[in-house]
Amino acid sequence: MQGNIVEGEKKKVLELATFFIGDALCGIDILNIQEINRNMESTWVPQAPDYVIGVLNLRGRIVTVVDLGKKLGLSPIQKNKDCRNIIIDSKDEHIGFMVDRISDVMLAESDKIEPAPANIGGLQGSFFKGVFKTETSLIGVLDIEEVLKDK
Amino acid sequence: MIFEDDETLQMYIEESLDHLSNIENDLLLIEEAGADINEELVNNVFRAAHSIKGGAGFMGLSNIKELSHKIENVLGLVRSREIVPTPETINTLLRAFDTLKDMIQDIEHSNEMDTSEHIVALIGLTAASLPDDEKESLSGTLNISIKGKKNLLKAPQFDIDHAKKEGMTIYLVEYDLIHDIHRKKKTPLDVISSLINSGKMIQSKIDIEAVGTLNQDIPSRIPFYILFASVIEREIVIALFDVEEKYVHIVTPEMCSPEGEEAFQENTFIEKPLEMPDISEPAFAELPPVSLNDSNGYLPKTAPISIPDIIKEDSKEALTAISKQTATQTSLRVSVDLLDDLMTLAGELVLSRNQLLQGITLRDKRTLEIAGQRIDMVTSELQEAIMKTRMQSISNVFNKFPRVVRDLARDLGKEISLFIEGKDVELDKTIIEAINDPLTHLIRNAVDHGIESPSVRHNLGKDPTGIIKLKAFHEAGQVNIEITDDGKGIDGNQLVTSALKKNLITDQEANLLSEKEKIALIFLPGFSTANQVTDISGRGVGMDVVKTNLDKLGGIVDIESAVNKGTVIRIKLPLTLAIIPSQIISVGNERYAIPQVNLNELLRIPAIQVKKRIEKVGNAEVVRLRGNLLPLLNLSKVLEIEKIYIDPSNKEEAPDRRENIADRRSQYSPSTDEHESDTLNEKEFIQRKTAERRKNINSAINIAVVSAGPFKYGLIVNHLRDSEEIVVKPLGRHLKGCQGYAGATIMGDGKVALILDVAGLAQMAKLASSEKLDSVNKAQEDSDQAKQDKGDKTALLIFRNGEDEQCAVPLAMVERIERIKVANIENLGGKKVIQYRGGSLPLFSLDQVADVKPLPESSQLEVIVFTLAGREVGLMVTPPVDAMDVAVNLDKSTLKQTGIMGSTIIGNHTTLMIDMYELVRSINPEWFEGKPNILKPSAGKPMVLFAEDSDFFRNQVKGFLEDDGYGVIEAEDGQVAWNLLEQNADSVDIIVTDLEMPNMDGFELAAKVKADHRFAHLKIIALTSLADDDDINKGARVGIVDYQIKLDREKLIEAVKIHLGK
Repeated sequence: MQGNIVEGEKKKVLELATFFIGDALCGIDILNIQEINRNMESTWVPQAPDYVIGVLNLRGRIVTVVDLGKKLGLSPIQKNKDCRNIIIDSKDEHIGFMVDRISDVMLAESDKIEPAPANIGGLQGSFFKGVFKTETSLIGVLDIEEVLKDK
Repeated sequence: MIFEDDETLQMYIEESLDHLSNIENDLLLIEEAGADINEELVNNVFRAAHSIKGGAGFMGLSNIKELSHKIENVLGLVRSREIVPTPETINTLLRAFDTLKDMIQDIEHSNEMDTSEHIVALIGLTAASLPDDEKESLSGTLNISIKGKKNLLKAPQFDIDHAKKEGMTIYLVEYDLIHDIHRKKKTPLDVISSLINSGKMIQSKIDIEAVGTLNQDIPSRIPFYILFASVIEREIVIALFDVEEKYVHIVTPEMCSPEGEEAFQENTFIEKPLEMPDISEPAFAELPPVSLNDSNGYLPKTAPISIPDIIKEDSKEALTAISKQTATQTSLRVSVDLLDDLMTLAGELVLSRNQLLQGITLRDKRTLEIAGQRIDMVTSELQEAIMKTRMQSISNVFNKFPRVVRDLARDLGKEISLFIEGKDVELDKTIIEAINDPLTHLIRNAVDHGIESPSVRHNLGKDPTGIIKLKAFHEAGQVNIEITDDGKGIDGNQLVTSALKKNLITDQEANLLSEKEKIALIFLPGFSTANQVTDISGRGVGMDVVKTNLDKLGGIVDIESAVNKGTVIRIKLPLTLAIIPSQIISVGNERYAIPQVNLNELLRIPAIQVKKRIEKVGNAEVVRLRGNLLPLLNLSKVLEIEKIYIDPSNKEEAPDRRENIADRRSQYSPSTDEHESDTLNEKEFIQRKTAERRKNINSAINIAVVSAGPFKYGLIVNHLRDSEEIVVKPLGRHLKGCQGYAGATIMGDGKVALILDVAGLAQMAKLASSEKLDSVNKAQEDSDQAKQDKGDKTALLIFRNGEDEQCAVPLAMVERIERIKVANIENLGGKKVIQYRGGSLPLFSLDQVADVKPLPESSQLEVIVFTLAGREVGLMVTPPVDAMDVAVNLDKSTLKQTGIMGSTIIGNHTTLMIDMYELVRSINPEWFEGKPNILKPSAGKPMVLFAEDSDFFRNQVKGFLEDDGYGVIEAEDGQVAWNLLEQNADSVDIIVTDLEMPNMDGFELAAKVKADHRFAHLKIIALTSLADDDDINKGARVGIVDYQIKLDREKLIEAVKIHLGK
């Protein structure tokens, strides 16, 4: 409810949490994000789709951790001290996106988000809502539900 | 004013639904009783309708009020015996209540719902019972005026007349919402319910105009007028309602005027009939019975309404409506006691926490230990108490079935009685909600496909009224639900044919199926057995959906069925879903939980026995467990844990090189830049290595024997760990595709462990070999069986004499089984009898003649009734009594004594075979006197040629015959019998033969005998375990004159005597 009001009143300014997958800078509407942590103790799930790293315990909830790199068809996330787990709240479920490195939160006016080209540096275009240009970089704004679609 | 007060409204809804919940069954009982009215029941329903009406009036729910009012009228007439509750009447009421329920559940739209059809039907009912001149009063409305206020209220003339007829006085009570209700801290609902308890509320109205507008002074009164009929005197009414005397008026005829005249009268109020109460207009909120105001057309005085038509049209809708009524409850009633308990526990938890924190600050190990223990204890108690709040009685689901069965049976023209047992069994709320649909489906199936139509039943010699039993009970920490019907049963072979046709199974598979497995075919997806798809239960989806739904709950379904006898469906359900006991196992580094429900036993095969006990059948490994072959599944292989090694540092998959496990993993050491994960990995790595090393090829093997439904297998795991109570958490949607897991849980160390789905794992591994194994098993069993019984199976009644002595008698000898109270046994002349069907039934027990334990003392006993020597006798035994088809291999020496013909082994128990004849004869020899010896004096013994392949039967029957003075020539099969007959051509007088025999069967023997002119005159009696019509016809063609059941001594002797005599 509140989100809608804010969006409506402020003429749709999105706050994008941005992060790196490999060298690609991507962003997610911050309202979709539950939290960002560095909880890496996931349990491997045999037989799971290859992009699923495992499941972890987030204060009593089971969270599926997805390797966003693999999911988007990029190189797998390199596990090191920079990588983070972005916990997304989607359809009453928490899902973790493992990313290589997080970056800033940026304000983006929604009318400045341009439609994504059919393919962004080898990525499947449908994963993106659009592209946001800043002075220094291009941010691919992820369409979370599309990314999370289980085929 | 509508919906102004959410809380009151919520309370009203809850209360009304509460009232409605039991109405269905009450109505059905009323229907059953017919003209013989049980006032208590009618009053129950009446009160429910009445309270709903009362509240609705107050809330401005005009539609609900009107409908409940009409229902009330009909019920009032039922109560005063003016209407006989016929099935049609009850139908109308039931459907009206359904709509009422719908409206209450969707209260915001209740005023928009169309109820006219019910109202017409209900008025039709009321009208039908009234004399013509009174019919007018049904639709007539009276305006009631008091001094200074004309046309204050409108009320249906019918109600007023009716109340007066019952000797009630009509009062107009003027409440004041400010003084009488608000200031006295009552709620309007209190007032209404107290009114309802003492009389009948006809009409109510709040005078909103009296409130005035904001410009005016604050009003002193908001009058709330109630038209009320009661037998109570005025003084008492005043005292009861706690209002001033001047506000209670007795309504006299002068105060009433028919509505039609209203036009000529002065209107003091702006009247606005509120069909859709408009809050914005602070006018006069009156809530009249809407539909009757504006038209007399609802009840054409000349044309009687044909109710059955309406019903017919709607019965289908009603049916679909039932299936939709599965709205989940969002609120729940919890007893205050339980809440108090929870509060106490919460308090204790807080104290324990303080203790714990203190212990941590002080670093006092002792305090910590104590706190730990306390928290452990409090948590389990808290868990139990919270679980209790979620427990609901299964009657929530069961209660709707009488209606479902009744409606369906009516629709299908069947007669069915439904018996429900165990309504008070409690289950977790979520399970209760989830079993609703599967159970409804099963019950509908039983009605639609199970029970035959009365004529078919009659032809089969069954009671035209079919019986469906629904039973719930606790057993072994699970809830069991049994649905039994005595209908036509499920024909396994038909299922096989159908499954073959649909290519669900192959011919080869079909040949291997046991009876039980054949019936289990019904659970295959895409299997619908109804030849004709009916709109009731054959909708293309069927039992497979039931099974999937129950599987999801961790439940187990099992079907047992006999053609033309009926079907039993057993469902086992866990008490709760949220927390389950489980066994933790591990493979490699990973821990997994196996629900205890699926776990049968744990098996450890020591290294030296591995070779001996684990075998290979085809490609599959199996283990020999107590004579059975159990397929084995290696968990690590199924989940491919072994084949792929996941490097914990980068989650990269690499082929596992376990064979060279002693080698260091070289890829590991270079990763020095990742300090943080390194330490962790180091540990893990070492752990893994040691774990794997321990699982040497020569080490012992741990097996968890698990079962999913009837399917059982062994799961090879690396380690068996603790057994723990785990909290089940669902897995995310990306993991739904993994068959092997039922969910996940969080272990004590905060890490996640997966819960294994035993059935899913078996599917994943495609236990293809399982069929082969089954056939191996079967072949083995078959050969065992063959060794055991050379003869055919006999139906035995198995019972107990005391706790551990299992006994059996041939079922064919049993007349029936009765349960008696020990207190009713009379001891007369040293003998025990019981009053029974107008006579006395002599009772015997085994310990009277045989050296067995006396019957244990209990208040109830089962009595097996036999007919012996022309009279009925009863044998007292201890339950359970069970019938079974068993191949009897009688040992006549070991345990033989008076009354016991010998022993055999049934289901791993040594079982005493009772000789009822001998038992009774040794106690009451006089009953049998004079009978057997009649034949002896006559010239020579009559010779019986007796062919029978089973030693047991041959010896038994030979014994009978010889006892009764016949000579017996015995033969093991038809061929031997024929040879013997030729040898003894002259002496044989009669032939008694078994039908099923090796070499030459009974039919062949009979045909041969009849074809030979030397023997054609000999009568042939056939002995069978169970004679069916086919056999009898076939036998008649080859010259068999009579059929007797094996071991029914008296009848056999009688038959031999008769046929010899001819």
